[in-house]
Amino acid sequence: MNEVTRQETRQQPTTRDERREALEQALLPPVDIYEADNALHLLVDMPGVTRDSLSIEVDNNVLSLEGRIELDMPEGMSAIYAEVRAQRFARRFTLSHEIDSEAIAARIDNGVVHVTLPKKQSHHRRRIEVKAA
Amino acid sequence: MFGDLRRFDTGPSRGVDWFRQLMDEMFPETGAADIRSVPRGSYPMINIGRTDDAVCVYVFAAGLAPEALDVSIQDNVLTVRGQRPEAAPEGTAGEPSAYFRRERAGGEFLRTVALPDGLDADRAEARCRNGVVEIHLPKREELKPRRIAIQATQS
Repeated sequence: MNEVTRQETRQQPTTRDERREALEQALLPPVDIYEADNALHLLVDMPGVTRDSLSIEVDNNVLSLEGRIELDMPEGMSAIYAEVRAQRFARRFTLSHEIDSEAIAARIDNGVVHVTLPKKQSHHRRRIEVKAA
Repeated sequence: MFGDLRRFDTGPSRGVDWFRQLMDEMFPETGAADIRSVPRGSYPMINIGRTDDAVCVYVFAAGLAPEALDVSIQDNVLTVRGQRPEAAPEGTAGEPSAYFRRERAGGEFLRTVALPDGLDADRAEARCRNGVVEIHLPKREELKPRRIAIQATQS
């Protein structure tokens, strides 16, 4: 069950520098994680993120997804009402050693990022045959 | 009791950005938010912006096919209605054997937003790109800001 766990810890900012850092924080996109075909699949909602503005990195068993919201906005627009109040999405996950990080694949379709995390061959599900005695 | 109306406002720790800055400039601590405001994280989220000649509504509906969304305007109230399939893992063979996390919204949704007066609903256009539906609502001609030429008078 612990193959993918959320990694971030969010604390209340105290000093001014920390607060500024917090202000640059991004939105946390909702995510679905499920297992199918000897791989873990991540579905992440990132509306407004394009293929070019999305970056996915694996570093030291941490998978980071970051996407900038690219909106086509006319000049001189002022906000009347806003629920999306940041310009980027970001989320990180810790991967377990079972994941073959070389074989991770991702695609984005209509604002939904689909990341496939295949398990290493040694961790594949095996069917054990029951022999007749 | 009225604090409930501001529940989507999560304080200064949410990212700062142009939209936030604009909001703060325009409404410095205004008290109650719109009565139609929803808790943070609702699907889809909506932003509304205004230019001199139009109002633009951005519906952040990731993974929604354009034909699955129904946008209508009546009496200056914009209704966005649609349906997103419950976590359809298309493109992968085999059933998901286990879910570890389910945060994405699925199923039917309906949201209504009050719009400013003076919009020309007949000329409204909607476009869908990268999971964001942009609804462009032009203002009526007579309500657009007008430049008044100053004529010199001979003295």
